[in-house]
Amino acid sequence: MHSPGTGSERLTIGRLAAKSGVSVDTIRYYEKEALLQPPKRSAGGFRLYTDEAIRRLRFIRHAQQCGMALSEIRTLLDIKRQDDACCHDVRSLAVRKRLHIEQQIRSLQAMSQALGQLIEDCSGGQAPVDECPILAAMESGIESGKNGRKKAGILEADDDDHG
Amino acid sequence: MTITVEVFAVPGCSQCAQTRDALRQVVEAIGHDKVAWREINVLEALDYAVEVGVLSPPCLAIDGELVFPTLPTPETLRHALNQRLTRQEDR
Repeated sequence: MHSPGTGSERLTIGRLAAKSGVSVDTIRYYEKEALLQPPKRSAGGFRLYTDEAIRRLRFIRHAQQCGMALSEIRTLLDIKRQDDACCHDVRSLAVRKRLHIEQQIRSLQAMSQALGQLIEDCSGGQAPVDECPILAAMESGIESGKNGRKKAGILEADDDDHG
Repeated sequence: MTITVEVFAVPGCSQCAQTRDALRQVVEAIGHDKVAWREINVLEALDYAVEVGVLSPPCLAIDGELVFPTLPTPETLRHALNQRLTRQEDR
């Protein structure tokens, strides 16, 4: 579908979805969340998007690939719009995001280590579950294993993650 | 024992630099024999920054503890350092 006189292609929501690889529902959601400008409508009331919408959807996808949440993407878009904003503002946001990701990586590593320790302490097999050291450790949180080693607590790692 | 003040920042922020200078002056006024000053580029010391719990630079840690998630005023820092110094003297 072409808009007469402008030379720029107008896309229905279905065409936009096909071209961008983003589902129709997601496009509507982004519009509702003000991540995507509401498009002009055809005489019949259909949404008609421009190439700008494709660029915006690519921007959102790339930002998501860097771990940005929609709220952070909204902040990035706000910065992009501000006349007095500069590259430093964007870089600061990226630095903050990286620090959050690094914290999460460490939390996940602590959880993985804690699970590794529990797996090591449990020989598996046919023992009844009330003798299972993994379940026992889950109930008591942090405690000494059967050979006296202190387990890096799953609860601690979990607290870090939510703190 | 010397108290260590560490400012975590990312180079390029002129506003941070101004505040940082004012905070450094507080430390210098107390004396390097009592308080040590370190400026840490978060991007160069990412592991340490994460270890301390830095999430949003610029921020300030005292003796490895993230006491100020945002940079304090010089007066607030002076007060915090004086409190610590008094506690050290009482021990």
